[in-house]
Amino acid sequence: MNLFEEISENLQKGNARGVKDLVQQAIDERRPAKEILDEGLLSGMSIIGEKFKNNEIFVPEVLVAARAMNMGAALLKPLLKEAGVKACGKACIGTVKGDLHDIGKNLVKMMMEGKGFEVIDLGTDVAPETFVETAAKENCQIICLSALLTTTMSGMEDVVKAAEAAGIRDKVKIMVGGAPLTDAFCRKIGADAYAPDAASAADKAVEFCSA
Amino acid sequence: MNHRERVHAVLHYRPYDRMPLVSFGYWPETLTKWAAQGHIEAEDAEGYRRDGDNAPADRRVMRKLGFDFNWCSTVGGNSYLMPPFKEETLETKPDGSRIIRNAEGLIEKVNDAIVSIPAMVGTSLTGREAWEELYLPRLTFSPDRVDAETFRALAAESGQRLLPLGLQVGSLYGNIRNILGVEELSYLAVDDEVLYREIIDTIGNLCYQVAEAVLAFGVAFDYAHYWEDICFKNGPLINPAVFRELVAPHYARIGKLLLCHGIDITSVDCDGCVDLLVPVWLESGVNTMFPIEVGTWNASVAPWRKCYGKELRGVGGMDKRVFAQDRSAVDAEIERLKPLVDLGGYIPCPDHRIPPDAEFGVTAYYCEAFRKAFG
Repeated sequence: MNLFEEISENLQKGNARGVKDLVQQAIDERRPAKEILDEGLLSGMSIIGEKFKNNEIFVPEVLVAARAMNMGAALLKPLLKEAGVKACGKACIGTVKGDLHDIGKNLVKMMMEGKGFEVIDLGTDVAPETFVETAAKENCQIICLSALLTTTMSGMEDVVKAAEAAGIRDKVKIMVGGAPLTDAFCRKIGADAYAPDAASAADKAVEFCSA
Repeated sequence: MNHRERVHAVLHYRPYDRMPLVSFGYWPETLTKWAAQGHIEAEDAEGYRRDGDNAPADRRVMRKLGFDFNWCSTVGGNSYLMPPFKEETLETKPDGSRIIRNAEGLIEKVNDAIVSIPAMVGTSLTGREAWEELYLPRLTFSPDRVDAETFRALAAESGQRLLPLGLQVGSLYGNIRNILGVEELSYLAVDDEVLYREIIDTIGNLCYQVAEAVLAFGVAFDYAHYWEDICFKNGPLINPAVFRELVAPHYARIGKLLLCHGIDITSVDCDGCVDLLVPVWLESGVNTMFPIEVGTWNASVAPWRKCYGKELRGVGGMDKRVFAQDRSAVDAEIERLKPLVDLGGYIPCPDHRIPPDAEFGVTAYYCEAFRKAFG
């Protein structure tokens, strides 16, 4: 097993310390940061995403894998910046106004970071204008909206309208997800994509940014 | 037949005169709205907020709507942190939200102006030291976890009761999730597996001891009931293999105890897509799924029955979202429920507490249509 495969394996097992040590070893061996990221960390997270989508692993395994990835990514961050490596896309994410429940949102963020995205986490109970202002200011290609409740999901339409009013609707894709959401609801409010699970959300984001 | 007899008959596949019309309560905000609209008394909305399921206020609201009784008619001992943590505000944010330490020691973000499940921020259970100092003493069995007076009185009236009564056993894993939060619980399983297992065993043993102490009073319970809430729309928040290995033995042990006391119906309250946990529960003596949240994943007793046979029962599975729609949506829902009722061993019930977008008139119409359809 080569070093990158070892990083990927340890990440999938959630061995955060192991990932950190192996990434440090790769850095010490002067491996390019982009290669360590792509072939070690993101490769591992990609496998995690697929397994999660197929119910081969579950939320706990995703959480510990993402934590391991973050440990490794923290070491790479300054090196990636120095090398001028850009994220594969930029998104902002949050739960909509009136909704505090954020596990789903956090999982999507982890999965998107696992695909190489830069994700700005706006947190919970986020006002429509905050999503829109952040997307405009930070040049996000995607706004990700999460809602747990039927009573709060209507807030997603407010974000779509706010993006239209701010004149950025054609510059940004709006993705929606959460327990009560359906594809039909997504189409009804004029959002661009509904993702049934966190891994699919990350896949969809990649699709948007590679189009 | 009375409702108690009806429940036994349906869940044991015996003949019954009519299907009981079962409720699962409301969000307090729903009753506040209905009171403001003049459908119910304001004191009943307040009474439900204060006293909860099956208390006099709930019974008055059920009577107005047409429900027979609330499935959460359960009593039990205290299998939780005793004493609970003192709830305290740790920080108030400019937007009015607060970071609090709740009664279970969980650090969470709440906003009094918002009706929402809080966001988990952290836990007071930061490791073995905290476990042994702050939690273990609060999770040790003592006789005062069981209110002897209540259970003596219930035992005395057991033969005369017309409504079913459940033994509330507590929660074997959801309770731990409430103490640690989903993220910290997941990390603990990897970072300190010994402690992770010890917490599961401690709570499992406590639930057993409390149930044992309650059952000693001789109350004729009609069913036993757990709550878990450890699933989301795509499946469980725990790996089913881990659940089977570590948690199921506690269900099985408690299940044997319940059977010794003549309780052969045990339900578990778990929202979300529970498909992957159903076989584990069934194997370990939990045979009645509740509330069968239909959701976007279309949960139903039918496919489970096909897989697991008549041992699998259900209470719930009525899509509460129709209460926010109209009478035609109710009619369609009743039609959907008819073949499920025909399967036997199944009692329809709203698949969660009725939320604030529900219309009083539509909810009352459901009760009316239900009676027409199911007697």
